[in-house]
Order: sequence, then structure tokens, then C-alpha cells
Amino acid sequence: MQFAETMTMPLDARPDVDDAALLARYARGDAAAARALTIRLVPRAQAQAFRMLGDATEAEDVVQEAMLRLWRIAPEWREGEAQVSTWLYRVVSNLCTDRLRKRPRSGMALEDVAEPEDPSPGAEARLQETARHAALRAAISDLPERQRMALTLRHFEGASNPEIAAALGVSVEAVESLTARAKRALAQALKGRVAALGYEG
Amino acid sequence: MTRGPHAPDPGKTIEEMLDDLAADPGPGPSADLMARVLADAQTHLPAPGGAVAAAPWWRQMVQGIGGWGAVGGLMAATVTGFVVGLGALDSTGADLVWTLGYDDYYDAELGLDAFGWALEEG
Repeated sequence: MQFAETMTMPLDARPDVDDAALLARYARGDAAAARALTIRLVPRAQAQAFRMLGDATEAEDVVQEAMLRLWRIAPEWREGEAQVSTWLYRVVSNLCTDRLRKRPRSGMALEDVAEPEDPSPGAEARLQETARHAALRAAISDLPERQRMALTLRHFEGASNPEIAAALGVSVEAVESLTARAKRALAQALKGRVAALGYEG
Repeated sequence: MTRGPHAPDPGKTIEEMLDDLAADPGPGPSADLMARVLADAQTHLPAPGGAVAAAPWWRQMVQGIGGWGAVGGLMAATVTGFVVGLGALDSTGADLVWTLGYDDYYDAELGLDAFGWALEEG
């Protein structure tokens, strides 16, 4: 009975069919698998890209590009080598970093941001929030890849250290070291600006 | 921007900033993005039942011949043919150096280098 219920569920909602299995089905020409993967992977990738870029349109472009790479690599995907979600996370992370590095670094500090048309305290707070998010995003983008992955997986995806260790192929101790180094690097990058960005420091 | 009475803890501030950014949900994917992703998937959808990978030219050639086994056989046959050919040539008594056109070697042996020819021609 339970088996019958599972079989009638949409592909994206079936827990017994993992992402790699869906990708393998796509590689065999199954369009329904593409729909299921899109429903499963795109919202998470979009959230990740938006968090890193702070721009919905740019984030969507990154997600489309990352998914395009997934479709292209599907026929050569070898099950068991990596998790599809981890692979996609890394691709999105690198695409966002490329974009952030190409951006001019204006707008990061409050003094560089134009005065708001609405001078109410709420508008000022939003402006400050935009500035500090931009500063943090820029500092994260300057981190080495493994530090950036460990930090964002931990703080933005809520992944545990063992999960991050499995995703990066390193030990749990190495994950702890990576995240600690990443935070020290961020603190160094934002040194002297935390107060201006609205934090006690 | 008030400063606390104690020395600031940069690690704690960074944690706070990261939590702030993580709490920003952002907009979900638009219907347009989902449509674009699905359109890409359709464009690159392999043929039913088989993966159609965009293989490099050399891999396509190897597959066309019949795989790496066939390539190995072909190479073995080529080398064997070459060796047999050399053996056959030897049995005819023809000078291998002469046949293969080792001009430099031949000319040096006879002392007829370019300088010699120039002297003879005046």
C-alpha cells in the first residue's frame, strides 16, 4: 500500500529516487527527470546565489548557467563520485565568486552609497543593511574556495561539520580549521569597518 | 554605533554578520527561471535510452573504429605490416639507405656534398 503510494508520487517528491538517479534517467533521455531535478535543485541554488550576490536577476542567471552545466555533464556523470547537490553548490559558488570579483567595489561602505530618497530611519536601516551585506559578500568572495565552501555550507546551509567534511572530502578537524581561518580572514577584511556597518565592535 | 565596555570579539561580530545574511531569505526562483532551465534541459536532452555525450573528436574516432581494443589491433597490424615490409625489401637485396633516400648519408659516403658539386660545376 505504502509502496503504491510512493510510486504514484511525483518524481521530485519521491525519497527513494535520489538526485544522481534522476540525473542518470535524464542522461537516458527522460524529460520527467529533468523536471524533477529542476524542482528539487533550483530553489536552493537560487537562494544560495542570491545570498552571495544580493541581486535576484544576477542570481537567476547564475542558476541557469549552473543547471546548464549539469545538463551537459549528465551523460558523463559517474554515480558515487560526488553528490549532485554538492557539485551544484560548488558550481554556483564559483560562478557567484567570479561575478563578485568582476564587480566594482563601490557601494560597500556607507559613505559610498547614495543618500536615500526617503530619509526615514527605516530607509536608513535598510541602506545600512544593504551596505553590510555587500561588504560581507565581497569579503566572502575573496576567501579561498575551500574556506568559502566550508563557511557558507555551515552558516547558510546549516550543514554539520561531518556533512561538510563529506562534501569537501576532508576530515572534520580540517573543516573546523577551514571555518576558523575563514572567520579570521573575514574579521581581518572587515577590520575597522564593523562599527560603520552598524555592528558593535 | 556603540562600543561595548570590553574589547570587541571579532569572531562574534562575524558570526552575527553571517547570521544576518543567512536570515535574508531573498526571492524564490521566478517562473521564468524555471522555464528557462527546463528549456535548456530539453535542448540538451539525450536521445531516449542512450547517453549522447558531446565527446571530443578523438573519442568519437576511437568509438567509430570500434573502441580501444580495435585501435590496439589496428596499431599491431600496422607495425606488423611495416616489419614484414622491411623484411621483404631486405630479401630483394635493395639498399635500404638508398631506397629510403638517406641523401645526407649517401652524399657524405661518396664525398659528394654540396661543396663538391659546386667545385665540379666550376
